[in-house]
Amino acid sequence: MMSTPRGGIPIPQRDTSALAPRVGPRGLWREAWIRFRRRRLAMLALAYVIALAVVGILSPAIVGTRPIICKYKGKIYFPALAYYNRRWEPEIFFRDKFRQRYPENLKARDPHSWAIWPLIYQDPYRRVTSNEWPGQPGNPTGAQGRPNRYNLMGTTQEGIDVFAQLVHGARTALLVGLVSTGVAAVIGIIIGALAGYFGGWVDITLSRLIELVMCIPTLVLILALLAIIEKPNIWHVMVVIGITGWTGVARLTRGEFIRLKNTEFVLAAQAMGASGLRIIFRHILPNALAPVLVPISFGVASAILIESGLSFLGFGPPPPHPSWGTLLNAGRANLQMWWLVVFPGAAIFLTVLAYNLLGEALQEVTDPRLREAGK
Amino acid sequence: MFGYLVRRILIGLGTLILITFVVYALIRNMPGTPITDRLMEADPSRRLRKEDLERLMRAYGLDKPWYVAYFHWMGNLLQGDLGRSISRKQPVTTLIGERIGPTLLLSATSLILAYLLAVPLGLYASVRNGRPDERLLSTLLYMLYSLPSFVAALFLLSFFAVRLAGTPFELPLFGMHSDRFPELPFYGKVLDIMRHMFLPVLCFTYGSLAYFCRFVKSNMLEVIRQDYIRTAQAKGVPPTRVIVVHAFRNTLIPFVTLVGLTMPGLLSGSVILEQIFAWPGMGRLFFEAISERDYPTIMGLVLMFSVLTLVGQLLADILYAVVDPRVTYS
Repeated sequence: MMSTPRGGIPIPQRDTSALAPRVGPRGLWREAWIRFRRRRLAMLALAYVIALAVVGILSPAIVGTRPIICKYKGKIYFPALAYYNRRWEPEIFFRDKFRQRYPENLKARDPHSWAIWPLIYQDPYRRVTSNEWPGQPGNPTGAQGRPNRYNLMGTTQEGIDVFAQLVHGARTALLVGLVSTGVAAVIGIIIGALAGYFGGWVDITLSRLIELVMCIPTLVLILALLAIIEKPNIWHVMVVIGITGWTGVARLTRGEFIRLKNTEFVLAAQAMGASGLRIIFRHILPNALAPVLVPISFGVASAILIESGLSFLGFGPPPPHPSWGTLLNAGRANLQMWWLVVFPGAAIFLTVLAYNLLGEALQEVTDPRLREAGK
Repeated sequence: MFGYLVRRILIGLGTLILITFVVYALIRNMPGTPITDRLMEADPSRRLRKEDLERLMRAYGLDKPWYVAYFHWMGNLLQGDLGRSISRKQPVTTLIGERIGPTLLLSATSLILAYLLAVPLGLYASVRNGRPDERLLSTLLYMLYSLPSFVAALFLLSFFAVRLAGTPFELPLFGMHSDRFPELPFYGKVLDIMRHMFLPVLCFTYGSLAYFCRFVKSNMLEVIRQDYIRTAQAKGVPPTRVIVVHAFRNTLIPFVTLVGLTMPGLLSGSVILEQIFAWPGMGRLFFEAISERDYPTIMGLVLMFSVLTLVGQLLADILYAVVDPRVTYS
């Protein structure tokens, strides 16, 4: 009975959840959300983060040279998906030698074809040439590429649209923020939980490990790990950022577990014979999660910062991947082209600012000490 | 206290051995060697013969597997020898010695500036807490705190070095001296270095300034609510004295730990900023050493950084006991 699988305990669970709204106070998360909503700056940051996520996810529909959806030779295709993954480009367009020039080729090879296009016809990877899109001039190159009607944020030295790179770069930033922080959070929570819950030699060993990773300069660790992979792609970069950034989460989780493991509800669970892992993940972790979310939110900011810094130094994801840091690096080589510095710089700054604001707000709405002070 | 110190130092030594071991394993397993890396850039006709390559590998101890080589490195270290840089043909200590000056020039200046500005600003913010001017100041500082230094550096460069080019306010794009530095008179030299330092120091300072300021303010707000502050106010102590003597002195405890923790930053420099400003400091040496696969230099720098980090932590804990008599280590 003690080791009942999850399916065996719905009745007591339903009982408590039915009682909770009547007797108990509002749940921690609901309480926190109510307090969070009152903070105007935090809500603004949240709106920005959500907007950025939407832009990142919909980036091929906002700027691109591939139709979102088209009918070609009697079939429906979604060529824009190729921006997420090169291999998703429908094979027929290779066979018919489109060479990524969709507008003219669609019309030329199938007069009955139709397509829905992205809002702006520009590409994050290559220069759009003259009349590729009817009536649109080719992108200017070099210092001529200042912001204009067709290139909202100008073009790079090679004539690649900055706005397109920025929008598609949002996808990279979003991915980096989520994946690296996810990796860091999982490692940090597991290590912190084990160290805090079991104590003794487990704690001593894991604490040394935490100290070890904290002491090695992050950049050595990242550069060395990336160099070992030889041909790092964006996923490698994200994982490497994640496995170097978990120490903050681990230390906090460890502290929370040490605090919570001597409370009555843990004792009760132990008395009922729950296993160590079950106590860790089902009983203590949900109670320790609120404070742990704070370094996670700050972690997203720092992951985005590290990725753009790495790209800036030339160690980021390989060239075809649009990254804000790569753009900034292009701006560094051509300082008189201010639009190469201002727009990506502002994007990085605002994103980091938003995640920092979110983290701080989370800290203040979930920390009971600060909560009372605020009243 | 003595027992505590001994224990901490022993643990620290253990950590050091682990760190150097892990880093050595990592860098020796990076693809490419310090010898072939440079030759790949040279023309193929000058490529080394196989025997020569092997001879060089042997001379630098690269023929041995990394775990054996690590103990050689360790043995030399115990005799006070950090080894010779492979790519620069100089002792590592000399290399580091050359770069410490420029890095300290930036980091010490910016740290002093940050402390000098952060304390009064933080005190001001805590006194005016909640008023419009404090909100403005805090928001501004918070934005500065979130502004990445390399973004700021590029903004500043494109303004001061490009936009203002030709005006008296123009600041140099990179480097530590101008080309005609040796001919300048003494004051000219000082002025020249100061002009080159201005932007890097600015980029180094604003972030820590914002951080310290928030730190001072949040600690002050906690202290200001205490009873003894109300007592002091009630008995008629002038407000400035209450803030500086009664309140601020009590926030020094966390402040002191902060000083200990900023210590490694003093010498590590910043890879990205030094790269942007082409400043001949430690961060740049580190970056170059990694790209050149210059193992002895990387190891020397890593050793230095980790010793500083550990000493900084220890120092923070000891200072903590010094300023707060309630804390004892036994």
